[in-house]
Amino acid sequence: MSPRPRLDHVRRPELLAAAAAVIRQRGLENARVADVAHEAGTSAPSVLYYFASKSELLKEALTSAEERFYEKLAHRLEQIESPRERLLHIVHSATGEGDYDAALWMELWARALRDPELAATRAELDGRWRRTIAEVVRYGQERGEFRTADPEEFAVLLASLLDGLSVQIALRDTEVTPDRVRELAVRLAERELGCELPEGARC
Amino acid sequence: MTGAAATERGARERILAAAVDRIARHGIDEVRIARIAMDAGVSTSLVHYHFETREALLEQALDYSYELAGDVRLGPEGDVEELGSVKRLAAMIDQCLPYPGMLERDWILWVELWLRAARHPEMRPTAARLYARMRGWFAEAIATGIERGEFASDAEPERIADLLLALADGYGVRVLFGDLEVAHARREIWAAVQDELGLPEQPPPPLDPAHPQD
Repeated sequence: MSPRPRLDHVRRPELLAAAAAVIRQRGLENARVADVAHEAGTSAPSVLYYFASKSELLKEALTSAEERFYEKLAHRLEQIESPRERLLHIVHSATGEGDYDAALWMELWARALRDPELAATRAELDGRWRRTIAEVVRYGQERGEFRTADPEEFAVLLASLLDGLSVQIALRDTEVTPDRVRELAVRLAERELGCELPEGARC
Repeated sequence: MTGAAATERGARERILAAAVDRIARHGIDEVRIARIAMDAGVSTSLVHYHFETREALLEQALDYSYELAGDVRLGPEGDVEELGSVKRLAAMIDQCLPYPGMLERDWILWVELWLRAARHPEMRPTAARLYARMRGWFAEAIATGIERGEFASDAEPERIADLLLALADGYGVRVLFGDLEVAHARREIWAAVQDELGLPEQPPPPLDPAHPQD
């Protein structure tokens, strides 16, 4: 058999999706190029044709999964008219409804402690998350539905709460269920922004 | 306990402590048996005698450190009679934040453990147990404060405990990454529960004079 990789049927996005799936199942340290190739239905040389090293592949897989999450979220938020429902959608999207992927996110954060490049990626993605929240706050303030609070401070507050709680969800803590998390986040937001969020609204 | 048994137990503890230290400094993936043996001042065969595999050692080291991290976080928060509930609560929040030095190291370990437990189901009972202990610790302190008339009578201890724990983790990790100062995190966490508990607007200064203030 020719050692030249067959590239006709595999594309970069598929490899990244396959890598994300492998990391999710096995964790970063146990993810092998061969596993990614198997998942994508191709060979290890094909994978290495697109990505110089395993660590590059893994970094890009982590980032692209987060990218997709933000793209979908931004698109969905645009379609929602009410600021309060937008905020509610953010809470729901971070608590396991939709594409939010706590396992990948935790890999990224733990890795970022020791890897300056991943630390920069983390800072960028966290900044994006906080800007998304702050923009919804500003939007609500413009429309007179949220009271004057510092949008950036509120964004850190809500992001921190959701992060802390999603750790507990990921640990399958029996007392901290997604419903409980939503209730805590919604009440915090209502108090800080002086509004009532629509009850039971689904996103 | 005989002298030999005590020594043996001492070696096991030393190995576990060395493993925890390595994990905190280099991450789980970089931990090697030979290195841990060197750090603990024992032979690799003694490490293998106590722990059959590297996996077994890591698992038990993490279990050990969960308990250790929990003890630091649950450490002496001061006597409520002496401090009063408001100062005691501030001291408890401080216990959960990554102040430079010891607490920062425990924090790195803490983050390493989240990662591990989220993916390894066998670690989750320990993690959940520790969270439950911390939740109980906060809820009990809040209930005591209500009883003593120092916190608002309609405050909900369990709910506020959940809120405080999550905020300490979420803000704490951002402090660790250098996004914000620890004093800033402390003030924001305080502000988030201030209304419901009927607390003074500003938190009392940290008990430990070495901790940075606003």
